[in-house]
Amino acid sequence: MSITTGAAPGEVGGDGVHLENIWKRFPGVIANAGAELHVRPGSVHAVLGENGAGKTTLMNVLAGVYRPDEGTVRLNGIEQNFNSPADALAAGVAMVHQEFRLIPTFTVAENVALGSSPVLVRKREIEQQVSELADRFGLQTTANREVWNLSMGERQRVEILKALWRDARVLILDEPTAVLTPDEADELGRIVATMAEDGRSIIFISHKLGEVTRFCDTATVLRGGATVASSMAVEHLDAANLAELMVGENTEVSQRRARVHPADLDTPVLTVADMRVLDSHGITSVDGVSLSIGTGEVVGVAGVAGNGQRPLADAIAGLVDSEEGSVVVAATDVSAVGPKDRIAAGLSYVPEDRLGVGLAPKLSVTENSMMRSYASVGRGPLIDRAAADAQCTELVDRYRVKVGGLHHAIAGLSGGNLQRLLVGRELATDPAVIIAAQPTRGLDVQGVRAIQDVLIDQAESGVGILLISEDLDELLALSDRIVVMVEGRIVAEFPGEEATRALVGQAMTGGA
Amino acid sequence: MLGWHLARREQPLRGGQTRAVATGMLLALVAGAFLLVLSGENPLDVYTTMADAAFGSSRGWSTTLGRAVPLGLAGLAVAVAGSMGLWNIGAEGQIIAGAIFGAWVARLLPDANGFVLITVMLIGSVLGGGLLALIPAITRARLGVNEIITTLMLNEIIIRVVRYLVNGPWKDPNSAGFPQAPPLPAQAALPTLFGRANIGVLIAAGVLAGFGFYASRSKWGYELRLAGSSEKTAEYAGISLRRKILTVLTLSGAIAGLAGGIELTGSSSRLVEGVANGWGFAGIIVAALALMRPSGVAAVAIAFGAVQVGGLAIQVSGVPASIANILQALILFGALIAGVFGQYRPVRTRTTSSVTAAAA
Amino acid sequence: MTRTLRTLTALIATLGLLAAACGGSDDAGGSDTKAAFVMVAPVGDAGWNFMHNEGRLAAEAATGVETAFVEAIPEGGAEFDTAVQQFIDDGYTVIFSTSFGYMDATEKFANENPDVVFEHISGFKMNDTNFGNTFGRMYQPRYIAGMAAGAATETNKIGYVAAFPIPEVIRGINAFTLGAQRVNPDVEVEVAWTATWFDPTVEGNTAQALLDAGADVLTMHQDSTATGQAATDAGATFIGYHSDMSSQVDAYLTAPVWDWGDRYADVINAAANGEYTPESWWGGMADGVVDIEIPTSSPVASEMQAVKDQIIAGEFDVFEGEILTQSGDVMVADGEKMDDGSMLGMSDFVAGVIGSTDG
Repeated sequence: MSITTGAAPGEVGGDGVHLENIWKRFPGVIANAGAELHVRPGSVHAVLGENGAGKTTLMNVLAGVYRPDEGTVRLNGIEQNFNSPADALAAGVAMVHQEFRLIPTFTVAENVALGSSPVLVRKREIEQQVSELADRFGLQTTANREVWNLSMGERQRVEILKALWRDARVLILDEPTAVLTPDEADELGRIVATMAEDGRSIIFISHKLGEVTRFCDTATVLRGGATVASSMAVEHLDAANLAELMVGENTEVSQRRARVHPADLDTPVLTVADMRVLDSHGITSVDGVSLSIGTGEVVGVAGVAGNGQRPLADAIAGLVDSEEGSVVVAATDVSAVGPKDRIAAGLSYVPEDRLGVGLAPKLSVTENSMMRSYASVGRGPLIDRAAADAQCTELVDRYRVKVGGLHHAIAGLSGGNLQRLLVGRELATDPAVIIAAQPTRGLDVQGVRAIQDVLIDQAESGVGILLISEDLDELLALSDRIVVMVEGRIVAEFPGEEATRALVGQAMTGGA
Repeated sequence: MLGWHLARREQPLRGGQTRAVATGMLLALVAGAFLLVLSGENPLDVYTTMADAAFGSSRGWSTTLGRAVPLGLAGLAVAVAGSMGLWNIGAEGQIIAGAIFGAWVARLLPDANGFVLITVMLIGSVLGGGLLALIPAITRARLGVNEIITTLMLNEIIIRVVRYLVNGPWKDPNSAGFPQAPPLPAQAALPTLFGRANIGVLIAAGVLAGFGFYASRSKWGYELRLAGSSEKTAEYAGISLRRKILTVLTLSGAIAGLAGGIELTGSSSRLVEGVANGWGFAGIIVAALALMRPSGVAAVAIAFGAVQVGGLAIQVSGVPASIANILQALILFGALIAGVFGQYRPVRTRTTSSVTAAAA
Repeated sequence: MTRTLRTLTALIATLGLLAAACGGSDDAGGSDTKAAFVMVAPVGDAGWNFMHNEGRLAAEAATGVETAFVEAIPEGGAEFDTAVQQFIDDGYTVIFSTSFGYMDATEKFANENPDVVFEHISGFKMNDTNFGNTFGRMYQPRYIAGMAAGAATETNKIGYVAAFPIPEVIRGINAFTLGAQRVNPDVEVEVAWTATWFDPTVEGNTAQALLDAGADVLTMHQDSTATGQAATDAGATFIGYHSDMSSQVDAYLTAPVWDWGDRYADVINAAANGEYTPESWWGGMADGVVDIEIPTSSPVASEMQAVKDQIIAGEFDVFEGEILTQSGDVMVADGEKMDDGSMLGMSDFVAGVIGSTDG
């Protein structure tokens, strides 16, 4: 399906940005499959899509970071062939990344002018010019302050100033509000409008429908690497059709996995109450979440990436501190204790970041397999290596992990084998509840199936499962109940048998 | 855009780090041969002299092992911290602190018998090095202050302390005003093992072997490797990073302190400002060559010691010091570079391949 | 670890075999006496170690005995042991250790190797058989250098860049000051410590500070020529140390210098003839181990020459009373001469020196 509204064919090749039939393949992944994007000068254009829809790749093509395998990039009617971000910048395209690229000990003016001014400049003069530029676009800043004492919002303004200083006619803002407080986000909306009035094209990448309708004129929606809606006017956009565009209108009902033993909701194995978590920038990432998982119950957490799922999982596991709230695992209140005691109370965690958190890539299969049990393998301070190997062999056999050798580093294992090892290890402690974050992401069909089978088996035997996934089909197939997170809050809850893609998708985009 | 970059080898090179380093040293010797020919020396004579001085006799071995002691202990100190991703750049200062504490003990117990005195001095050295490292350990664990900077700065501070001591309160009245402490009591000298090597060789061998074993076999060592893999993984595994940082950095300093104590009682016979003699910095190279594995430090330290002994021997035999130094540097450099290639492989860079990682 | 070790040993053994196969033979001709020198820093081109190397070359020429040296050997470390042992193993029979900090280690070696003669420079230890020490009365030419400085200054302020407040350095400063006062009673000598023997940057900065404080003549007790450069840049006068620095420093006037050659030749000859007797040899200008060239341009050149002649003839002592300390106490009473022991332990400045011996 493809909706094309608002972009008359005659406009193609005219003023502004035109990306046509962009293909970009990475080993094993097609990131862009014939994507297109048309942005008029003087407009604020939203680019929407789920994680993995190809937004970032497409923007990197426009910003000269990647060369497309196929397709054309045109600016104001002229075909461009960017070899580097510097080429793109020279042609007037600048990208403000989510991670700011500023030198903390330099002043605002120095950061803005860095690399684009003659070697010998008068500091005062530059500061004066930067201040004038900032005033023109309503960017409140102090040119002679050092960046390290600025807030995230102010740093973002410096990044925008850098782009304006180089006279960028096209500014790409990659999820610009993710690091901002609500007030700062509103401020950004005003700045963006001023820049558009100046005749520039602003591309605004976002997940958040509210922002898009408030700040943007037109929107392009990507799904699976292709453009499913090009340059539609945002007034035509509502939560229902945006959700449909983003997650697809798969009419086929997901096959729910049959359950033999129904969940026992009266005996919760995990109870989270009023949890609030701040991220490293001090912004609320989990905002008053309460949920309870019964014995043998699978609770799915749906949501567009970055809406608080990951900090929620980390906070329940005790890896990040929560500001408020309590966590009870199988009748033990673990709110005040660390990860080790939460494990002991019966909590297991399959984290989203397998090799960065759940497994140690440089260590061997055996060493990774004993991460939970090493304290009891062997008496006294030494590890009984034979016992550890035996335990590992059992794990590897049971979960059919294909390994070269128990003492080889796991870095060489495939994603599916890594995940089987990780999940198997987390289940070996006989947990009461397991948090499984994106447990099947990146796996092939068999791998997905194997992990899902394991999870259902566990639920059948009474383990509570908190399943966090961006794969709606997976959630619909496995969950007894689905909760939807938006901006750190649970905004909707559906019994498994009533949930549909449309309902959940709509809730995910903030329309419920 | 074409170019080269280094990518970590997922599986180690066949033959491992040992082979890579040996190859690198061999290539360096070949390169050094050209240098020697150019400066009018016979490379074979020079290399024979080096090998002979380091390994050709029992005295050669004793000299080589004698140097491997401070190198090995300093290397172990750096490697223990390095195996959990901490950089102890302050081994030099911790060696000095160890020597200061050792000398202090000798001042307090001048009449104790040799065994007691040496034992207490070495315990004092361990405490001294550990105490100095405790400062960066606490600031890193509690406040997150980068330990590279704090350990480096403490080097500067402790060198001023020892300078003050040997110029002031501990200055030997019988040294014609020269800034040095009085000689240690005669019974404080570490007994000779053989040739020029003293009992320090046995102590260091024991510590190195013990740590090598303990780090690779114990639960403690396992936690260390987990923490070295990633802080997040360690926290996920329920390890208290703060406590780990605190104990590991302090232990690292304590080991360096022991090196200072052994240097004091073994070879310098009195406290002088230059007691650390760069061993602490050499230890960083040793640890890097051993890939931060405590079990690999001893071999590297012996090889490193041999290169130094050989370098000095050719100077004695008439090769100019500058050439001898370049040769030593070349061999170490060759080993280090080869060590890098043992861990990483060169990969041709294309614009697309460099972003694969970013997209993954 | 064993594998690395084995690889390394194999590597070295291979090299050894190759070398043996090529069969270089050492020719051990000539006399049995060979002399080796251990230096604390690179011999460089002007300082302390340079002059020892000059002395070595002169002694080699005078005696015909083969000599060798190692440089950049730190004090109090294992390098010294390794180098000296290697020299002994290679058949060297006379070993000169030319830095104060080698004293303890030299003593140890002397006691372990009774057949080898050890001569330590600038220390005070010795034994009865094979270990002596050598030094020079640098304070004598320092006094004469002070005269040149006292006559050259117009601001009556002389800057003295000095390494460490040890007796040797303090003695030089005092002698220099007494010499300057002899020709110019109003002169003051301001001392600034660098806490290093060799660091051109620190030395240069210290010299600059003295120039800024009004000094128009500089001298130093250091191993680099940085003080001379600073003096040249400022248009001041420079009095050197160690060696004739006229080719390196434009502002150079003269310098008290070392000349070790004769003394080294004497020790080597004595050792070769089996006549070596340890002593604490402290030679002066009469022995030639220290010297100063009289600058003809100086207004006091003839008086300097007269003093030099008197010292060589034993008719004049630098530290002869009455000499007062900085604080006004009597250092040497009127009519008395300071004995060697007091000179070797000198720890106070004479009146007229600005600065503190606390460093």
